[in-house]
Amino acid sequence: MANKLVVKNVEAGYGSVRVLHGVSVEVAEGETVVLLGANGNGKSTLIKCIMGMVRPEAGEIYLERDGQRVDLVGRAPEEVVNLGITLVPEGRRLFPKLTVEENLLLGAYRPDARRAIGSNIEFCYKAFPILEERRRQLAGSMSGGEQQMLAVARALMSAPRILLVDEPSVGLAPIFVSRVIAKIKELKERYNLTVLMAEQNFNQAVKIADRGYIIVHGQIEFEGKDAQALAGHELVKKYYLGV
Amino acid sequence: MSYDLLLNAVAAGLLLGGFYAAVSLGISVAFGLLDVVNIAHPVFVILGAYAAYVMNARFGWDPVLTGLVFTPVFYLLGMAVYRVYYASFERKGEEALRGLVFFFGIMFIVEVLLILVYGVDYRLVEAPYIGESFHLGPVSIAYRLFVPFLGGVLLAGGVYLFLGNTFFGRAIQGVSQDSLALRLMGADPIRIKTIAFGIAIATASLAGSLLIIIGPVEPSIGREYIGRVFAIAVLGGMGSIGGTFAASLILGVVESLTSTFYGPSWSTAVSFGVLLLVLALRPAGLFGR
Repeated sequence: MANKLVVKNVEAGYGSVRVLHGVSVEVAEGETVVLLGANGNGKSTLIKCIMGMVRPEAGEIYLERDGQRVDLVGRAPEEVVNLGITLVPEGRRLFPKLTVEENLLLGAYRPDARRAIGSNIEFCYKAFPILEERRRQLAGSMSGGEQQMLAVARALMSAPRILLVDEPSVGLAPIFVSRVIAKIKELKERYNLTVLMAEQNFNQAVKIADRGYIIVHGQIEFEGKDAQALAGHELVKKYYLGV
Repeated sequence: MSYDLLLNAVAAGLLLGGFYAAVSLGISVAFGLLDVVNIAHPVFVILGAYAAYVMNARFGWDPVLTGLVFTPVFYLLGMAVYRVYYASFERKGEEALRGLVFFFGIMFIVEVLLILVYGVDYRLVEAPYIGESFHLGPVSIAYRLFVPFLGGVLLAGGVYLFLGNTFFGRAIQGVSQDSLALRLMGADPIRIKTIAFGIAIATASLAGSLLIIIGPVEPSIGREYIGRVFAIAVLGGMGSIGGTFAASLILGVVESLTSTFYGPSWSTAVSFGVLLLVLALRPAGLFGR
């Protein structure tokens, strides 16, 4: 089943504040695409538009699934999730007073995920041994890095076709950032996941990116065909590499 | 102090505590897991008791049978009440004070309706086991306490297993912690809360039928229970079913011992004393997370 996520000329904002000005992004099956940009440029808003958490004022967002078009605009987040698109939200948003295992099991709420729950939880514990060690611990009592691992694992429990990741590095020590990114890369290869990741930490994001977009003031400034192209772009040099 | 008297007081307390669990479960779910401060819960219990009375007086039904048969009716009633509450208050973020007034209103309206229809007299049910008892060594156990105890234990066990072992139950546990995160798992929080509130009110149907087995009821008897059931829910740890059950037994025994050895008028004071003490030492309650 081929999946392609298409965002076309999306305009969106909050109240009278327009954040996105005609943004177009495409993510093809099996690709890992990063959305680069500093805080406040619209990365998270774009992710929220895809998930149905913010309704775009104009433009289209749809899935191309075996030649069929499935519109996402106007759907509630739970409907988008049921189409196989799962978000690892910014700030993790775990259930702090549920245990690690209860969080993972809730991740498999959608009907398509329940069938594979046994093998998925086994896989998650293998990929993140720390989670199995702490399965009876309350999620809120773990360190930030462990919580981020749990957030990624919980998203995988929903057996997504497309994984969206919003700012996985925020609030994490650098060592955890590279560990989380490495895990996402490993999982992506094993699952043949399609990933769209919003991130401001260029050095980390570029490690897993097949392609990327640089978003500035709510517009796509540059579309990099590969990681090298991204690294070579003047905006990246200016903002991230300090040259 | 005689040893037999002590044993009998403890046994009576445990039996009463099992029944308290039946009444408190719905509060624990609504208040602890859904953030819905349903102070009208006891009046739904009274409604359940009157259903048991009517079916018993008219058709000779056993109160427990009525409790079970009316469970779906109360479930639907609870769903309807939550929908109104959600649409009128929660959706607008006005649930804190106005929601409280809403449930106060429900409490008074149901009470007044019961008074208008059935008067203020005490009503009771007849069943072959009421008035009978059996003996365990020196302890005498009345069936009118034993049946409610058993009902409370089974109800608490059922709710406990449901919340811990089903997708729906886990979603109910997560819904007030982060409802957006729940949507990102593919669950609709409003639907989850509607069903959970329906379940909370459904437990009141059974608790009411158990209440009228213990003794006669009149429309405003629910007020006696408001303080007690909230104390139990807080004492046990908000939203913890196991904690609610343990707190029910503790409070039942404490009340029974107090009324046996110091007189019944002290029992409520001592219950709240225990609550204050626990809150001072463990603010999350005995089993709160």
